[in-house]
Amino acid sequence: MKSLLIKSSTCATLALLFLFGTTLSASAQDGRIQLGQLEHLTAKASDTITVNLDEKLMQIAAKFLSGADEDEIKVKELINGLKGIYVKSFEFEREGDYTTADLESIRTQLRGPSWSKIVNITSKKDGSLEVYLMSDTSKLGGLAILVSDPKELTIVNIIGPVDLDKLSQLEGKFGIPELNVTKPKNKPRN
Amino acid sequence: MNRAIIHGLTILVLLMPATSAAKGDDFKMVVKTIEQFYNVKHRSLPFLAKAGLKTATAAARIAGGTPKRVAEAGSVKVAFFEEQEFIPRGKVSDFRQSLTALLSNEWTPFIQTVSAKGEEQNFVFLRAVGEKWNVLVVTIGKHEGVVVQVNVSQQTLAQLLKDPDELGKTITDDATIVDDQE
Repeated sequence: MKSLLIKSSTCATLALLFLFGTTLSASAQDGRIQLGQLEHLTAKASDTITVNLDEKLMQIAAKFLSGADEDEIKVKELINGLKGIYVKSFEFEREGDYTTADLESIRTQLRGPSWSKIVNITSKKDGSLEVYLMSDTSKLGGLAILVSDPKELTIVNIIGPVDLDKLSQLEGKFGIPELNVTKPKNKPRN
Repeated sequence: MNRAIIHGLTILVLLMPATSAAKGDDFKMVVKTIEQFYNVKHRSLPFLAKAGLKTATAAARIAGGTPKRVAEAGSVKVAFFEEQEFIPRGKVSDFRQSLTALLSNEWTPFIQTVSAKGEEQNFVFLRAVGEKWNVLVVTIGKHEGVVVQVNVSQQTLAQLLKDPDELGKTITDDATIVDDQE
């Protein structure tokens, strides 16, 4: 009877782990990364910003932005086809208020075959900037940006096809912070 | 057959007011949640109007555009919490979670900002109502708070979405600041 109980609980645990894993990977495959595990940082942070622009809101923004204003025309073109923009940003008073494990919980989701790390800048003084692009064309597409320094952690997740060359035009809009992300140049052939 | 149709129509008629009442109650529920969590009491707009404060006539400027009213006429609901000590009954994160849970069925949490260990909090929730959108803004400071709910058109919402950081302030200013020029 006891072994049966242990077996049942093991099976249930495995089933839960499987379900949880499937949800995480399926979500990351759709271009959406999970940020809920960072909620505990809100209590430590001096400032927290969370922005959720889902598909319905993106459609409204794309549909009703003015077609007369030159800047809005560009933005309209950029957001057409996007399925969501999600931003989470923390500022801390002290160093060490967030850990490598917090960062890893995001990176783990971006290690799948669909994602490619296209920018990786690390500086002891200024922190690091990582840009991941969902390069699998059969998928929806997406972009994930991780900005971290000892007192700041920002994650930007854009769902849908993103043109990196034009990403800067979205900075400062729809909750996307100024990131100064540029598309890496191809290495010259020898 | 006729009885079935009448029965169906009766259920439909009974459900309609219930649905609209449920939509209208969210504002009150949010105000009540703040009162319970922070041990404060709100003042509604009619009370303040009697005390000499004019109702909202501010013209808000959206993303550098021409000043114009944001909220649809007659759609503004406001509850003020003034000169009171906001003493949380639990963690600030508990408040955020209870607010989100309260509105999770119909509302989308669009933006949340929590600053300086919960001394200032802003929440903006959005809900589609036909062709219009309800915008619910909750702002809580150390000694003051305000809850605003307005209806906006899709065009207005599109403009507001461009600058989420300013959305809550724009809506709140539109609903509460008295414009001396009018």
